[in-house]
Amino acid sequence: MSQQQSVNQARASIYQLLSSLFAKEVDHQILHELTSAQAMAFWQQLGSEPSFSHDVEMIVAKLQTLTSDKALLELAADYCGLFLVGTKHSASPYASLYLQKQASSDDDQPLLFGEQHQQMSQFLKQSQLQVQSEFPEPADHIAVMLAYVAHICVNQDLAQQCEFVQHNLANWLANFVNKVAEVDQGSFYLPLARLTQSWVESDLQWMQGEL
Amino acid sequence: MNRRDFLKGLVGTSYVVLSGSSVLAPLNALAASGAGASDGWLTTGSHFGAFKMKRKNGVIAEVKPFDSDKYPTDMINGVKGLVYNPSRVRYPMVRLDFLLNGHKSDTTQRGDFRFVRVTWDKALSLFKDSLDEVQTKYGPSGLHAGQTGWRATGQLHSSTSHMQRAVGMHGNFVKKVGDYSTGAGQTILPYILGSTEVYAQGTSWPLILENSKTIILWSNDPYKNLQVGWNAETHESYAYLAQLKDKVAKGEIRVISIDPVVTKTQQYLGCEQLYVNPQTDVALMLGIAHEMVAKNLHDKAFIDGYSLGFDRFLPYLQGETDGIEKTPEWASDITGVSAEIIRDLAKVMTQDRTQMLMGWCIQRQQHGEQPYWMAAVLATMIGQIGLPGGGISYGHHYSSIGVPSSGAAAPGAFPRNLDEGQKPIFDNNDFKGTSSTIPVARWIDAILEPGKTIDANGSKVTYPDIKMMVFSGNNPWNHHQDRNRMKQAFHKLECVVTIDMNWTATCRFSDIVLPACTTFERNDIDVYGSYANRGILAMQKMVGPLFESLSDFEIFTRFARLLGKEKEYTRGLTEREWIANLYNDCKAANAEKFDMPDFDTFWKQGYVHFGEGKPWTRHAAFREDPEINPLGTPSGLIEIFSRKIAQYNYDDCPGHPTWMEKSERCHGGPGSDKFPVWMQSCHPDKRLHSQMCESEAYRESYAVNGREPVYLNPIDAKQRGIQSGDIVRVFNDRGQLLAGAVVSDNFPQGVIRIHEGAWYGPVGEDGSKEGGAEIGALCSYGDPNTLTQDIGTSKLAQACAAYTCLVEFEKYRGKVPQVSAFSGPVEIAL
Amino acid sequence: MRWLINIWRTLNKPAQYLTLGSISISAFLMGIIFWGGFNTALEATNTEEFCISCHSMESKPYQELQETVHWSNHSGVRATCPDCHVPHEWSRKIGRKMEASHDVWGWLLQTVNTPEKFEDKRLEMASREWKRFDRDNSLACKNCHNYDSMKWEDMSQLAQKQMKRAAELDQSCIDCHKGIAHKLPDMGTARAPELIGQVGSGVSSLQVDQSYFTALTKPLYFNEKTDVEAGTLNIATKVKVLEIKGNRAKIGIDGWRKKIGAGRVIYYDFGLNILSAQLTKDAALEEGVITTFEEQEDPMTGLKWQRVEAAIWTDTDYLLSDLQPLWDYARGTYNTACSVCHTQPDAAHFDANTWPGMFQGMIAFVNMDQDTQALVQKYLQEHSSTFDKSAH
Repeated sequence: MSQQQSVNQARASIYQLLSSLFAKEVDHQILHELTSAQAMAFWQQLGSEPSFSHDVEMIVAKLQTLTSDKALLELAADYCGLFLVGTKHSASPYASLYLQKQASSDDDQPLLFGEQHQQMSQFLKQSQLQVQSEFPEPADHIAVMLAYVAHICVNQDLAQQCEFVQHNLANWLANFVNKVAEVDQGSFYLPLARLTQSWVESDLQWMQGEL
Repeated sequence: MNRRDFLKGLVGTSYVVLSGSSVLAPLNALAASGAGASDGWLTTGSHFGAFKMKRKNGVIAEVKPFDSDKYPTDMINGVKGLVYNPSRVRYPMVRLDFLLNGHKSDTTQRGDFRFVRVTWDKALSLFKDSLDEVQTKYGPSGLHAGQTGWRATGQLHSSTSHMQRAVGMHGNFVKKVGDYSTGAGQTILPYILGSTEVYAQGTSWPLILENSKTIILWSNDPYKNLQVGWNAETHESYAYLAQLKDKVAKGEIRVISIDPVVTKTQQYLGCEQLYVNPQTDVALMLGIAHEMVAKNLHDKAFIDGYSLGFDRFLPYLQGETDGIEKTPEWASDITGVSAEIIRDLAKVMTQDRTQMLMGWCIQRQQHGEQPYWMAAVLATMIGQIGLPGGGISYGHHYSSIGVPSSGAAAPGAFPRNLDEGQKPIFDNNDFKGTSSTIPVARWIDAILEPGKTIDANGSKVTYPDIKMMVFSGNNPWNHHQDRNRMKQAFHKLECVVTIDMNWTATCRFSDIVLPACTTFERNDIDVYGSYANRGILAMQKMVGPLFESLSDFEIFTRFARLLGKEKEYTRGLTEREWIANLYNDCKAANAEKFDMPDFDTFWKQGYVHFGEGKPWTRHAAFREDPEINPLGTPSGLIEIFSRKIAQYNYDDCPGHPTWMEKSERCHGGPGSDKFPVWMQSCHPDKRLHSQMCESEAYRESYAVNGREPVYLNPIDAKQRGIQSGDIVRVFNDRGQLLAGAVVSDNFPQGVIRIHEGAWYGPVGEDGSKEGGAEIGALCSYGDPNTLTQDIGTSKLAQACAAYTCLVEFEKYRGKVPQVSAFSGPVEIAL
Repeated sequence: MRWLINIWRTLNKPAQYLTLGSISISAFLMGIIFWGGFNTALEATNTEEFCISCHSMESKPYQELQETVHWSNHSGVRATCPDCHVPHEWSRKIGRKMEASHDVWGWLLQTVNTPEKFEDKRLEMASREWKRFDRDNSLACKNCHNYDSMKWEDMSQLAQKQMKRAAELDQSCIDCHKGIAHKLPDMGTARAPELIGQVGSGVSSLQVDQSYFTALTKPLYFNEKTDVEAGTLNIATKVKVLEIKGNRAKIGIDGWRKKIGAGRVIYYDFGLNILSAQLTKDAALEEGVITTFEEQEDPMTGLKWQRVEAAIWTDTDYLLSDLQPLWDYARGTYNTACSVCHTQPDAAHFDANTWPGMFQGMIAFVNMDQDTQALVQKYLQEHSSTFDKSAH
């Protein structure tokens, strides 16, 4: 594996990790994996970047407190309130809710499964991919987009990756983070959202630098 | 550290972080080929209309009216917004504290607390466990699964039928009688005219148009209300309203709208309005009756031959029994209508063929039985009951009533009840001396005061001690009165289960919430044309079911499986087989009368048309021969005086129609010194009750500042410094809400309107995000039932009396809260 | 030896007819009686080929049979004409053969030689067959279909319910399963087929002085002959048979009437608007039809009521010995049809005089024919709080 490949693999893994954390609630297995010795080493490495360190610390600290079923359920309730029952006024995880054109009289685009969902579906199809049937969400769900970037990290060239991230992900993450900050009272999903934003931004900068 | 070094550092550590599977999968062959649900036009229907939908790239792309619907409502444009609504219930959810503590959870947290996602299996077993617990501990009187409402259309997936059949296989439960819309009317009219009337087919429009010279629209706005129907509506009534408009313009028919406000119908027809003070219609009717007698205008032969008890009503009318003669002058003082106009009205109504068309609003007030009774007395005095274009109707604003029926048999439905011979698991009918059926609008009363005995329709009802509620396709946090009182009641419930498609307020005040898919995510069958029964519609599945939602059939099939009763539940038939059977049974019932193709042909073509019906006159048979065709009253005749009601000895519903003061009444009535404004909360113009309120883009087409509109008189508004577009706080001692001002001359001073069906979105009293679950919370969107009274109309009907409601309003100057009505539960810190 | 008499009667018919046709009726009969191979001949006449060779069967009933499950089914067992139409027991078999000789006459006389003529006679012929099935309790069916060997669990709920009750009474199959092998004759009414399918079309031989219940709303007549209607008898009404003449029975109806109009309507009991019968004005005034008794004022309406007994004629069909099957059907229909839109109230939720108003006001969306509507309303009234005090 060339060094470039290894780097891409590492980047893919981070996108994949972020995707997984947005895809569903933290359960015992995820918790176990995220708090293993190897994972701690990973967190440490990730936190060594100053722009990530604060959020990584918060995430790791939160993970340490998840020692009971009740604590996991509380976190699941945070997740639910943020991502499963929201509206465009809350922190719904769908790109369309942040990129939708202002509602005008002739614009009757559906809010979910709208334009961004269609676009994303096309991207997936071109890459011979689709959303897992066990994940019955629109394709513009943040977890799908992050997983897709993970996929293209190792399957497409940097220019293509850069293009995608810039025009489909980086363009709404800031709004998303603001919403999460407004709604989330816990100390896991806000740092996770911020970490995602800063990671994507730094990755984008890096890609642009490489090109 | 530069980024490259950083990334290199990550290389070694990152592989092992998560082993879980990705949300992505390789494209499968089916999806790659674009097969599966193919794109194109499909047929379906809803309360808002029958229509066609275009599926493109697997999503609903376009909606257009059904070919035979010549007067479609623009509400069908809101349908996409229902399906792809961000407030869809996407997964089965359980309130966190309920998950942790079950029936001992902190119920005061209901309404603003936290949910977690669970699997269907988990949710259904929690549901079953709760039912087990209630049936074991309290028996059937502890469970109320009988609150049912408008559901979505479709004869197979009818949500309340599924819920009640499945829950009924588990055990017995408390049920309701009556409904919120017409509770007083459907109770009083069988005593008077021998039928509920409100849901009966009425004289056909062609006969009205041909024969009526005067039409009285009494508190009736058909042009607004005919947009929605019980089945897939095809709006045929509008063609007749168009003809009526024509005849009004030509001076051939005089239409008088007796109403405090200028209705949509009045504006459309360009007809006259007779303003009357709110809630005083009975006094107006008595004044008219008095004048008819004084001028000898009443039809004595008809009264003698077709009615009973006029002789016992007359002394009241003439003041012999209570010392008050119900003269036009007397009526004028109460009603705000001049004696002269009342006298003229008596003349107009008796001089030629007069059709009275009553709306439902005036029976949703305290003593709501009286205006319906007195109107029937007026119609009897006019003497045209049973003549085409004469008499009285209580339903021409509803579900195509008045459009001649095809006469065909309609398809049946999935059974609501257990099949003959089946027994529930908890086969216990011991309601512990309490009533197993309670008047529909008294359930909150029952929860708050179990064991209390009330009068209702000639019998005694003893409230059961309700511990658990199950709702499906039903949103009582819209249609019941007095939200703060509901909150108190809900604190006493151990478990609330709701099955719905979007996060209604009822979902938010529940413990277990199960996602049902929308009408457009399943196959079904329905009548189109409502009462006209113009044909049968194939309701073809468009998409989905989205997220983890399931059809009602599937939800309760799974639930029945959990009970070990799946085959009993489904009769061993699939969704497709059920639909085909419903169709084929209907075909058999119509054999040799109406041609119906085989099922597959029908499904492909999307509908079967039954053709036109024959005009028909209500009560004509009775008029022709009252002995052989008696009314369903105790005497078989119209009962102007009801001995049966009289012997109940109810102070609020005596033996003949009576004017009684209300507990709250504007224009100088009780309570108007403190809260001077009457709030009417009639059926909405742009929704079906609360259905469609959540459809965002469509809601934006009428919402004001994101809030439900409150319609205000210009002078009232000016006095309070309010302009159109302002956010207004409407309040009384029962609650408070925010709404968006629409200042309009259509509304008289002292009267405001907020349409019911506006979703309840409570926030803290001061407008802060927290505190929505608390008593006194501010409704951020404008649900009028935050303010209405939770009282029965009378001891007779014990029906919803939302229209007896006084309020005050002001320009809102506090912190403007975000509208919280259309999201899931709001987060609060622990 | 009734069959022997029949033979002689047959042979004594005018001789001219004996010369007609290629098959000699006398040869046929003589052959049976005098030819040596009696049983052989009998067996020969007991095949499908024989039936359709003579009977006017091939064109109509035989073809109709071929469209039914009795002709073609997955078991490969086929019912032939004699399986159903000839008793398996010897003496009955002979009797039946003699009956069949009538059909030979029919053939000779060309009574049913055209489809039109066949249709005209179909009801008469079917009625004769039904009566015979009734007489031997559908024995021919039961040779193959045995109540004891029926697998209840494979039947639908409705079928189970109906079949179990039928089995308990060892009911004649044809009570319900008419028209199962041939087209059902036009019985002048296609009314309430499901209802009639479940409760049957009535007792075949009424007994004088016995009480029966109407399975449909029935016409009343002035006498045993006339077609002039004297009114209608409501469904599920108890009547007593006073006299039988042919297809007509004179019945007695007990009840009360309101003293308004011509007093044409007879109700179930004092003060209860449960309809029993409606008479025409002429009938109500006709001497001897109504006998009147005591009067009483209904405090609920102030109307005077009078106890009456009516004696009047009706057709002998659609009279049941038992009321319960009607109530069972009504209950099932009510629970199904009236819960399509809403939860149906218990029958005992309202009193007998409130139900007509409640029921009539709600039936717009309900698919019920007139008979079924009348039945369900009566069921609700007779199971209302007036009779059942358990509610509330």
